[in-house]
This record gives sequence, structure tokens and C-alpha cells, in this order.
Amino acid sequence: MKRTVPLMIVMVGGILMMLQYFIPHQISQTVFAYYTDWTPIIVAFALVLGVGSLTRIHSHKIRRKAKNWQYSYAVLIPLFGMPILAHLWPESISGGMDSPSIFHFIFMHIQVPIQATMFSLLAFYIASAAFRAFRAKSALATVLLLAAVVVMLGQVPIGELLGRWLPETGLWILRYPNLAAKRAIMLGVGFGILATSLKIIFGVERNWLGGAGK
Amino acid sequence: MSAVNIWEKMLNIDRRWIFLGIGVVSIVPFFINFGMPVRTTREVESIYDYVDELGSDNAIFISFDFAPGTSAENMPMAVAVMRHAFYNDIPVFMTANYPLHHGMMLAAMEYVFNPTTEGFYEDVDFEDWKDLREAGVTGKYELIEAWENQGNQLPEGALGWVFEGRDYAALGYAPVFNLVILGMTVSIETQYPVDAHGNSTGEMPMLQEHKSLREVDMALTSSGSGACVWWVTYAREKMGLPIAFGLTAVMATDYFPYLQAGQVIGQMGGLRGAAEYEVLLTENGITPSTDKAFRGMDVQSAAHILIILLIIMGNIAFFAGGFHKKTLLKGGR
Repeated sequence: MKRTVPLMIVMVGGILMMLQYFIPHQISQTVFAYYTDWTPIIVAFALVLGVGSLTRIHSHKIRRKAKNWQYSYAVLIPLFGMPILAHLWPESISGGMDSPSIFHFIFMHIQVPIQATMFSLLAFYIASAAFRAFRAKSALATVLLLAAVVVMLGQVPIGELLGRWLPETGLWILRYPNLAAKRAIMLGVGFGILATSLKIIFGVERNWLGGAGK
Repeated sequence: MSAVNIWEKMLNIDRRWIFLGIGVVSIVPFFINFGMPVRTTREVESIYDYVDELGSDNAIFISFDFAPGTSAENMPMAVAVMRHAFYNDIPVFMTANYPLHHGMMLAAMEYVFNPTTEGFYEDVDFEDWKDLREAGVTGKYELIEAWENQGNQLPEGALGWVFEGRDYAALGYAPVFNLVILGMTVSIETQYPVDAHGNSTGEMPMLQEHKSLREVDMALTSSGSGACVWWVTYAREKMGLPIAFGLTAVMATDYFPYLQAGQVIGQMGGLRGAAEYEVLLTENGITPSTDKAFRGMDVQSAAHILIILLIIMGNIAFFAGGFHKKTLLKGGR
């Protein structure tokens, strides 16, 4: 029963959703409307589970003074603090999500700069990695290196100043060889997704049961 | 010191020097404006031309599908299309596929409506024009006339009025966004009974005129993740909504197949794509000057040149030092 019920739900739900996509009938649309209503509710339950699990793990870490337990406060305080500031804190003392509010201030002046900084670090690591990795060690590596240089120069205005052929060649690489390779990869991934989805719907693939299917 | 040692030292250069170099070339162009020209490509022109053909009877979606990490690239794209739409009086629905992206949507609005932004738009809150709405004044031009007759004056430097609920609806984030897109193919109001500011969407004139995605003319997804494909899968393929992509530079190469297949009308790739749109806006008198993306192209030019110089330097050292004949080379720090 523990295995059969989830497998049946997945099979019936999967087949139903597949069929409804191609049937523009009122009944099919009603099924679809029910589905779109249910899903956010199920997701809301998953959110409760997720928050509960995260809180339990980090509270446990703090209680036991486990390694780096101080960082757990950095998880728990914003986890509860931000929703409180957004929804429970009185608007008369800078509550709510809209500007000006404490929530908005924290988002714009802490969250945004932190994320932007983390992403910006990529530029530094890419430069270092390009220096060490782009070596013309073989014919294929040379092709890769030349393509990278042409596309990089073609993407910036200075490339245009060095020669009109640079951005045009860069665009040609993107529009044709790149497109062909990407399409092949996408088709492969698409067929893979299709095969895996069918295996899940028909109960052949049961890893998603998290061990209960064994 | 032997010649080989010099090449080896060069190859094993302390990466902190490289970091310093990138830091310098990223900062200097902010102080010295080179203003190098940006030539537009057909991928961006096609989006511009499409939006330019639309008017107050049409409506578009701008989906803020990016987090602060990629906002340097994605934000200028969304802002440029938003300003283009406001200029042409095209109603704009704004959505976000993740809670963080909701904040990006609000930040974009704040920027476009901020009087310190060159060529800003003066925002009128939904509640502020309630009396006119209740009196049945909802058409854009009659609304402007009635609003100004009430004694309101367009601030100096503003390019025009934008009325919340008439010119834009900040719908924001809703969970399970792929299903939200699917749901909006039937009804936008069902998915968003209230907007991001708690206003009832059912009372908004633009939602009364454009009830579902079937009555919308385009969706731009300014995206930092694969979520942009949801718009193609659930809106383009299901009911033919024209989609435009605004993608980060690293993603842009992945989505050329959609462009060639005609599933998207155009694509802005990275900062360059946003800069191209800004150039088109300025050349056509829609904005008084180019914006952040165009300025950022100088930084990107300098950084790309430095990276290419580093690659050339690395290869010279690699071959001149004879390391191509060896199998092992010490790693750098």
C-alpha cells in the first residue's frame, strides 16, 4: 500500500495531465483548473515541511554547540525575521514590503549587494581560469581558444574598432556552429526527459520514492 | 635566472595579480568614459521593432526572472523595454517567478519612477486616481487630461504619466510560476486576485481589457535561469504568445535554437543586448540618453581585452618555455 498508492497517483495524474494538454474540451479544462489550484497548496505544505526541517536542524546545532553553530543564527534570524517584518510588523513603524520599510531596506542594502558581490567574483575566477586553461595544446584546443577569443572580442565595442569582421565572425559562430551543437544537446536532453518521465509515470523508475520503492 | 625559469614564473603567476588586474580594469572605465559605439544586431532589433509596433490597445508582460546576482545584466533589459512600453502607452504586466525576483521588479519600478533618473516617468498610485476610475475615466488620454485638470502637473524632466492599473500592473511573485503561466492562459485575475501592493486586479482597467494571456501581445522574460523556457513551453506553444528573451551572456548561447526555430521573436544577450536596446531607444528619441548597460560596455571591453592578453601571454610562455613538450607543469597558486 505504501508504494502502490503514490505510484497510482503519479500514473493517473501524469497520464491525465498529458492527455488534457491536447484536448481543448471543457471537462479537460476543468481538470486542468483543479490541478493548477491544488499544486500551490501542495507546495505550501512542502514549504512548511522545509521550514520546519531547517529550523529543527539548526536549533539542534545551536543546542549542541556543534561546529560553526554560530552561523545557524545567520540562518534562523532572517528565516523568521524577514517574514515578520514583511507581514506582522506594523506599517506605522516601517513594516511591510514596500519602500520605505525595514524589509525593503534589508533587501536592497544587504541581500542585493551580497548576491551581486558573489556573482561578480566570477569575473575574477574566470580571468584566472582562462589564463591557465586556454592553451593551444592540440588542434581541438586551438579551435576552442580561437572561437573563445573571437566571440569575446565580438561581444564588446572594442572588437568592432579592431575590425568589423570580428563581431560578424563572432555572431556567425553563435548563430550556426553553436546553434547546431546546442540543438543536438537539447534534443538529447529532451528525449532523456521524455524517457525518464514515462518511466516515472509507469512506475519503472522509483527512486523518487526515496527508498520506499525498494 | 634562466629563460625557462622566466616562462615558468610567468605561467605560475600568482593569481592575485590577475585579480588585481581585473579589479583595476573594472573600476577605471567608470571614471574615464570611453563611450565606444555599440552596433545593434537583428536579435535585439526584432524585439525593438515588435514593441515599437504596439500601442495603447495592446499589452505586454515583463517577467522579472532574475535574482540580484545577475541584475547588472538583466535589469537594464527589463528597464529598457519598460520605458519603451511606457513611451508607446503600452500597458505592462510585471511578474516574477521567485520571491527574490519580486524585489527586482520593485527595484526596476523604483528606478523608472525615480525623479533622479534621466527620463523618468511620473507614477500615479492606484488609489490616487480612484475618483476618476469610479467616474468611468479609464482611457489613457482622457485620463491624463482629467488628471491634469485636477491641478496635477507633470514634473520637470518626466517623460509622461503612468497610472497604476491603467499603464502597469505590478503582479509580482506567485508560487509555482510555470503553473501560474498556464493558469494565466485562462485568466490573469484568477492567478493574481491582488497585485504586489494589495490592489484588486479585477478593478484595474488594463485587466478588464486584457483578461488572459490570449489578449496579450508579447512577454519579455528577463531571465537569469532556465525558467525563461517556461514562457515558451506554456505560453508560446500552448496559445501562440510571442516571447522575447533577455538573457545573461553565459546563457545566451544556449537559446539560439529557440530563436532560429521562431519560438522567440528576439533575444537580448547579456549586457551587450541591453546596451543595444538602449542605443535603439536613444537613437529613436524614446530616451534622452543611453543608460547603465551602455556605460557598462566600456568595463566589459576592458575586462575582455585583459583576459585575451592573459590568454596570449599564457600561450607565449607555454610554447616559448617548451612546456608543450612536457607532460607535467606545476600549478599556480
